[in-house]
Amino acid sequence: MSAGEMPLDARTLAGAGQDGGLVASCRSGDAAAFARLVELHEGMVVNLSARLLGDPEEARDVAQEVFLQVYRMLGRFEGRSSLKTWIYRIAVNQCHNRRRFWHRRRREKEEALDEGLLVPEASSAREGAHTNPYEAARQGERARRVQSALLQMSFEHRSVLVLREVEGLTCEEVAAALGVPAGTVKSRLSRAREAMRVRLRDLVEEGATP
Amino acid sequence: MTCARVDRRMSDWLDGELDPALARELSSHLSQCAVCARRADELRRVSGLLAGLPRLEAREPVAPQVLERLELEAETGRPALAVLFRGFAAARPLMLPSLAPAALVLVGVLAAVLALDSGPLPEVHLAPGAWGAVPASGTEGNPLFPSADVDLPREMAGLDLSPEVLAGRGEGSFFVETVVARDGSVAGVTVLQGNAEGEGALLEALRLQRYEPVRFRGRPVAVSVYRLISRMEVRSPAPRI
Repeated sequence: MSAGEMPLDARTLAGAGQDGGLVASCRSGDAAAFARLVELHEGMVVNLSARLLGDPEEARDVAQEVFLQVYRMLGRFEGRSSLKTWIYRIAVNQCHNRRRFWHRRRREKEEALDEGLLVPEASSAREGAHTNPYEAARQGERARRVQSALLQMSFEHRSVLVLREVEGLTCEEVAAALGVPAGTVKSRLSRAREAMRVRLRDLVEEGATP
Repeated sequence: MTCARVDRRMSDWLDGELDPALARELSSHLSQCAVCARRADELRRVSGLLAGLPRLEAREPVAPQVLERLELEAETGRPALAVLFRGFAAARPLMLPSLAPAALVLVGVLAAVLALDSGPLPEVHLAPGAWGAVPASGTEGNPLFPSADVDLPREMAGLDLSPEVLAGRGEGSFFVETVVARDGSVAGVTVLQGNAEGEGALLEALRLQRYEPVRFRGRPVAVSVYRLISRMEVRSPAPRI
């Protein structure tokens, strides 16, 4: 089978292989190294999955599936992209598959995240530690509104927005993570941002320049 | 530069993806057009709102759960080509939730029937309005699930994933149920979830598999096997950790 037929072929991704040592250790059968790899990346996978799926329990399950997939595919990772980007791609694919599963089962579970099984990361919690209760409640409500608006978008638009704006990837990294050309990412980003601007008009105008 | 053109380029400009000359032109327009300037400001706010979402993490670390599953898979001797066998419990997210109570009821009734009758398996009738008439458990029409008492059937030969079977796949996964008959042949293969278009050859390979017959309390029984088949996993090498 040729490399071009592989849907998740790392060779199609551009970037530097900074995680070579860790990957090499995992490939040599070092279980502790694989545990370390999971620990290093589980935060981004859980956050990405939660934002894409809007369901904390599913996000946790998907995160497990993602790392099982990573484990099975590490032999094909060639280091032409960063390991992070490569894992993001697997995570987006898993979330997409899970959504299609819901759709076929006629289970539209995408609701605003109740965050029941997830907690804000320690760093996020620290950032909010000095705010007063009213401000904390306002921030919480704002986050729920933004998440709800995200979940109203198509998966394609949602994934570019989350990868670019929430996860902070560059357009090129988003393109690699989604397996689409950079031009496609830019046009999707443009439409998705505009859709969010319309959906969150009151929040946006709240802080706009008069 | 017109407002319409600014509109089309605004997102790229916010990302710093415009070439410098075009970016200067757009900035110049914004300094003169209040409508476009306001829109640029609002789009920046959208980015700010998304970037300001709190990052979420699982209450329990994921790594130990992943390692536990990998160890479990290694112990159960999973196929090297990663046609994924899942234990009943591990398949929970993908199973009809109603199968769990149904299986419990059926196993309980079956145990009682088997204890009283060593003859041919009888028809089992539950309360009217509950489950209706249920065919005898452990038969091809009503196979058992692998459990502590019912072993997962062992393949007599590995699944044929020859180049002809693997050629021309797309992406994605599908979830199939294989009913292993009492004589070890495959009584049926059903795609429960996922897009299995173009997978006729692979499904045929699943139908042609042979297993060692499974016995439950001394009787040969039919058993359901659930598999999540990922087109990505089909190509992956054997795990070595």
